Amino acid sequence: MTEVAQGQTAGIGEPRRDGRTGRHLPGEGSMWFFVIGDLVIFGAYFVAYMFYRGQHPDLFLQSQARLNQDIGAVNTVMLLTSSLFVALGTSAARSGKVADAVRLFVIALGFGAAFPLLKLFEYVPEVTAGLTPGTNAFFMFYYVMTGLHLCHVLLGLVVLGFVVRELRISPNPRISFVETGATYWHMVDVLWLILFALFYLMR
Amino acid sequence: MTSYIRSPLVIVWALLTVVTVASWLTARDGGSSHQVNIAVTVVVLLIAALKTQLVIWHFMEVRNSPGWLRAVMHLWLAALFALLLGVYFSFR
Repeated sequence: MTEVAQGQTAGIGEPRRDGRTGRHLPGEGSMWFFVIGDLVIFGAYFVAYMFYRGQHPDLFLQSQARLNQDIGAVNTVMLLTSSLFVALGTSAARSGKVADAVRLFVIALGFGAAFPLLKLFEYVPEVTAGLTPGTNAFFMFYYVMTGLHLCHVLLGLVVLGFVVRELRISPNPRISFVETGATYWHMVDVLWLILFALFYLMR
Repeated sequence: MTSYIRSPLVIVWALLTVVTVASWLTARDGGSSHQVNIAVTVVVLLIAALKTQLVIWHFMEVRNSPGWLRAVMHLWLAALFALLLGVYFSFR
């Protein structure tokens, strides 16, 4: 029993390796092209935000004070937890434990779906309080960048749905497709970690 | 399913969650007056950089990926946070 448990533990979190190089590109190369492009584009937005912020520090600080920092923090934990289950699900799929992988990806979908719901509880009170993209430069950046990110989250949830479908209905699930979906979801997580620091936390 | 609790990935997640709470408390306690606060900014940006690196390295599995991808991701992360801190301090 202990041996079995230890054997399983050893297999989890250990990616399949290329026999020749010992290295492995998770998922499709085309997805990595897209991920790197997205990271560079968002990176340019992040630096532009910092530049505008530097020119109007008081305006940005006062506007930041209007955001709901608590929902921002809870949403960060939601995405991190979702990413954990995606990573565990990917490892399970790779070790051939398809039923486990399905369960782990469904849990990941649940935590991921909490994000847009909680975001509604942020956007609605803000908009009803009269804070819109037209309010000032801070809120323009805030709505455009968190809105763009939210589109990524919604697309990510659809992608995770297709991963679950692949695992459930395909007799031989394609691991590269599972990894590709996982890579996209983790990128969504990465972008939020930086958005959270820039919009909610920095002073 | 319970065997997954012992995965190294869970330790990474626990660390990510702890530093998220730490950065949230830092901003709340150190910046509740919403004044310019260089110490809070540096701490939350460095924590964000650490979290980004942890997700890229362990969850995205860049740790075990080909050298070119590890180089690209390191370069992106280092350049981004150097620029963010550089722009922030250029206005101080």
